[in-house]
Amino acid sequence: MWSYLIGFTGFLLTAVLQMSIFSQWKILSGSADIVLLFVVAWCLHDRNKQLWLLVIVMAGIAGSISALPAYIPIVVYLFVFRVSKLFQARLMQSPLLSMLVLTFAATLLQLILSMGYLFVIQVDLNFSDALVEVALPSVLLNMLLAIPIHAIVREIGVYAFPKGVEA
Amino acid sequence: MINKLLTPKNLRNLIIIMVVAGVLFLAISGYLTPVFSFSVSPLISAQSWLSQRYLAFSDFFNSPRDMATLRAQNAQLENEVAMLQSEIVALQENLAQSDILYTLLDFARTNPEHEYVAATVIGREISPFLQYIIIDKGSNDGLRHGMPVVTQQGLVGRIDALISDASRIQLITDANSSVNVKLQTAGVEGLVRGSVTGEISLDMVPVDSEVQIGDILMTSGLGGTYPPNIFVGQVLTMQSKQNVLFQTGSVQPVVDFSNLSAVLVITNFNSVDISPLVP
Repeated sequence: MWSYLIGFTGFLLTAVLQMSIFSQWKILSGSADIVLLFVVAWCLHDRNKQLWLLVIVMAGIAGSISALPAYIPIVVYLFVFRVSKLFQARLMQSPLLSMLVLTFAATLLQLILSMGYLFVIQVDLNFSDALVEVALPSVLLNMLLAIPIHAIVREIGVYAFPKGVEA
Repeated sequence: MINKLLTPKNLRNLIIIMVVAGVLFLAISGYLTPVFSFSVSPLISAQSWLSQRYLAFSDFFNSPRDMATLRAQNAQLENEVAMLQSEIVALQENLAQSDILYTLLDFARTNPEHEYVAATVIGREISPFLQYIIIDKGSNDGLRHGMPVVTQQGLVGRIDALISDASRIQLITDANSSVNVKLQTAGVEGLVRGSVTGEISLDMVPVDSEVQIGDILMTSGLGGTYPPNIFVGQVLTMQSKQNVLFQTGSVQPVVDFSNLSAVLVITNFNSVDISPLVP
């Protein structure tokens, strides 16, 4: 329960920071998504089996904040949750590596789904521009910010998961 | 009589007086200065040495207390400086905000045909593919879905979604946005589209029309989404290919979308949804 509260509060704080600050930090037209990074880091640290409930709530909030349809964050966050459980079982000797790999995969999935959504609603989408100017810079920024976000969540984890902190 | 006066005692007194008077005379005349200097300088040196040692000794015992006091005063002064600096920053921010609001007010006065609600930009879209902003006014302030949003420079976008105290604005730079415009000089109409990179382009301009670089784009009012005669941008480049019906071009928007801090929502314009009429 305590970890749910801390995780939810951290998520809300991250969402506020994302909308007010990080959405304006751009490389070309790409920007970082620290909300996704927080979800990735939290899923990697939290061993609670019922975490998927919190993940769905987080995805619902992200879906309501963003102009993207809600199913995109739900799919991406559940993907993060599922893969994080696999990583916890196999790659937890190197949590930073897990964070980087999962960040890369989740960012890529989110960007692909976003481009797919724009394609479906018949937006005149230039795939080359979308890839070079938006997707790749966004992946780069997310990879760069994954390390500090991982470190912060690990420190928070000391209070949230007193018995199960790794790394 | 003289013998009576010149007794040995009187003679001794007289000699003493004369010697003292002579010494005084010599001292007043300055003849004894080297002698005084020679005799006093060791005393001065000794006193100076003693005084310095005393001061050093005194500092040794008093300086920790003085240092503590000075440090406390320094910390207090630093706090005051920091407080004053933060006040200056806050005042500068207020001034900048006031300037923006005054400019918006001027815009509202010069365009009295509309009713406006001023709002502050409080957030931006999470997804890098979409161009949306969030403002601090919502349905409680009389805002409704589809209302146009402008600044003193020109068109910003329209309300896409709203809750009681906040609204999400779709910018004209969004990939899913399109604005019907007219070119002021060329006198033809076209369509301004956004893109995933936040740039806007001009489309649907008849191929036989002569569009000049720098021509001003204003909303035409067609489609019922935006009111007419709001500035949108200027034509940067135009290109027409063979065997196509329309010219396309790039547009420089008049609004600086990266630095939006306050906007005006036009509340007396109801957008019309013509999508059911589109075949």
